[in-house]
Amino acid sequence: MATAFKRKGSRIVARLDGNERAIVRELLDQTRQLLAPSGGSTGDPVEDLLAGLGSVPDPQELADRDPALARLLPDGHRGDPEVAAEYRALTEQGLRQRKVANLSTAIEALDQPAARDKLELDLGQAQALLIGLADVRLALGERLELRTDEDSERLQQELADLSTGLKASSADGSQDPRLVIGLYYDFLTWMQESLAGALL
Amino acid sequence: MSVAPPEHASPDVDLDVDAVEQTDQPWVTIVWNDPVNLMSYVSWVFQNYFGYSRVKAEKLMMTVHREGRAVVSSGPRERMETDTEAMQGYGLWATFEKDS
Repeated sequence: MATAFKRKGSRIVARLDGNERAIVRELLDQTRQLLAPSGGSTGDPVEDLLAGLGSVPDPQELADRDPALARLLPDGHRGDPEVAAEYRALTEQGLRQRKVANLSTAIEALDQPAARDKLELDLGQAQALLIGLADVRLALGERLELRTDEDSERLQQELADLSTGLKASSADGSQDPRLVIGLYYDFLTWMQESLAGALL
Repeated sequence: MSVAPPEHASPDVDLDVDAVEQTDQPWVTIVWNDPVNLMSYVSWVFQNYFGYSRVKAEKLMMTVHREGRAVVSSGPRERMETDTEAMQGYGLWATFEKDS
């Protein structure tokens, strides 16, 4: 069972059991795959960056994009599509590569050998995980169709009802795919809140 | 064939007007409210990236939360594009535009 992150000197420490660790790792990895720059990789990040610089994303690809990916790479300008396209051509590849590199740092931190479920992070790893959790939650939030603050509150209520329902009748509400994603989302929300608190 | 205009036309005048307009109307970076990012995280981002004090970062975060958006930085367009890219790197919903 997970415990909240706490700062201990220059380290940020929490407990995360094997199952929880595997889920968080898997969600970070799925988000990393979603963000991996299109058009393949040469294996050399500098070459990839130069290859992608100034390349105009295909308008059809943009229109057909997975909404979760679109949410992670929003327009940089509202109201002027030309400025937005110019900004995207200049920034998108680099942004994707930085997000992928950050998620990799977070995943490597979770892959460290753990004694008694202890997760011990240095400041750089903790920041990478904090930012990585934001990207995962944005992707899951898009799957859950969270568009307004009210949508978020409704999800909280649904999850609270589910946990009461489970206690009362031990009915298996966890088969509903939306609620499964909701439960992951809720766990990551708790985790990110505790990590932000430890870093502030 | 051409003649010199009666008055010496100074192209500098026009340039100066443009320059004044540019400084008077800088560009801004805007962060928009979204239902996913946590208030604590948004405050942390403003402190971490801009180096804003905790008080200033929290005030900006509350403006985003209550009013739906906040101007988080202003200056030349190129710098605002950099700030927008950085905010998007953190997962915040950021755009840049000419200040109006």
